[in-house]
Amino acid sequence: MMLLRCIRSENKKLRHSLIFPACIVIPAIPAVMGTFNYMQNTEILTQQWYSLWTQHTLFYASFFYAPLIALYCSYLWRLEHRNNNWNVFMTAPVSIPCLYFGKLAVIFRVTLITQLWVGILYVLCGKSVGLPGFCPADICFWLLRGTLAAAAIGALQLFLSMVIRSFSMPIGIALIGSVLGMMISNKGLGLYWPYSLMLMGMNSNKTKDALSGNSLPFILSTLVFFLIFYLTAIRILRTRDVHT
Amino acid sequence: MSSSFIRQLRAEHQKGRRRHLLLIPFIFLLFQILWAFWQLNYADQEELSSGYLLLFHHLPMMNTLLLPMMTAVTASRLCDMEIKGDTLKLLYTIQEQTSLYDCKYLTGLSYLAAFTIGQGLLIPGLGMSYHFGEPLKWPMLLEHLAVTFSVSAALLAIQQTLSLLSASQILPLAAGLVGCFLGLFSLFFPAPIARLFIWGYYAAFPAAAMDWERDTRIVHYYEVSFPAAGFLLFLAAAIAIYLLCRTITARKEV
Repeated sequence: MMLLRCIRSENKKLRHSLIFPACIVIPAIPAVMGTFNYMQNTEILTQQWYSLWTQHTLFYASFFYAPLIALYCSYLWRLEHRNNNWNVFMTAPVSIPCLYFGKLAVIFRVTLITQLWVGILYVLCGKSVGLPGFCPADICFWLLRGTLAAAAIGALQLFLSMVIRSFSMPIGIALIGSVLGMMISNKGLGLYWPYSLMLMGMNSNKTKDALSGNSLPFILSTLVFFLIFYLTAIRILRTRDVHT
Repeated sequence: MSSSFIRQLRAEHQKGRRRHLLLIPFIFLLFQILWAFWQLNYADQEELSSGYLLLFHHLPMMNTLLLPMMTAVTASRLCDMEIKGDTLKLLYTIQEQTSLYDCKYLTGLSYLAAFTIGQGLLIPGLGMSYHFGEPLKWPMLLEHLAVTFSVSAALLAIQQTLSLLSASQILPLAAGLVGCFLGLFSLFFPAPIARLFIWGYYAAFPAAAMDWERDTRIVHYYEVSFPAAGFLLFLAAAIAIYLLCRTITARKEV
């Protein structure tokens, strides 16, 4: 009950913010440009829906998915970092895990909307370039798997935005982490680096499933990273004094 | 430069104390160092023999991916203190709006210069550690650094304006993110379309180009002449962007 109230109050904080325009506009850029790139190279990109997927996710999942979540997280914590709101936040008669999970749930909801929008754009772009039928079921599954990876990144970025009192630094860290994630993923070590999970989950720039149909290690890795950052954040909130 | 402007500039530097602003270019540079080591460790002898050309080809792309965000973060850190503290009203009673803009811009430029100098040291440093087969051509290095700095400076003017005009920092940071996207995509577009996106200009004046033979999978790097006229045109556009951004900020009601 208390958790629901926390989620509701965190939702209210997003009202009239630029979060939703960002969540609509930013994924539209790789969709439009990826489609343009696909149309320019149809003689090489012959696998229709799958080829279009490679172009849509090439940069989005590899570099910009995590910074986008970081943007949401930074905004949510910015409100607490201003005007002595930390005092209000910490003295609320609500348990720390409820307070923190309220923020996490909102981040996950906005990410879910973002991913849904990415999926809609993908289908619209596919249809607009004349691809036959509907998008394959495994692409819907990759989209869902990418959304799951957002749980680990959401927990990590929310933790970073909580401890770093700057709005922009965690977003910069997310971009660097993502580029590093692509390099680490290319070495086959993606499961050990949280920023690689999104591009692995979304099967970025690949037409065949990079996880070869075995998603269990990926789910385990996501769960472990989620727990690490979630529990660390809760511990810090419980033990460290706040700075307003 | 009047003594009053120098005092204002000094005040701007004082505001940056304990804000670890130098950490921003340092982190981005550290990442580029890691990336360069990773790239060169997997390069074969053939590629190492033209190591400088490889770097002059790849670094502009890396800059396109990272530096729009670095300038967005730098501008946001410099301007957000005024937004958070609601100090603009106070400052504009004792300081010209354009003067505050210039002071912040010069402070931001100093961090961009730190990054550019760092990258300038990184290139010959890598050449010495990996024993590149060719000598470093200093004019090429200077051209690369001039492009890196001037494109970042133009982006800083845009980002600083957005950061000063926006109450929440979502808009400037989202613009930085969009800039990274557009810059990166523009690398794959035909040149006339790519020239429409300022974020992609890091790679618009390359000192080196690459030939890739699909059958043999052999990569060949070669030097290209610097398009000086195009770069001068860009510098003129960058100055116009700066003046436009400065005017927009000065007209803002607080």
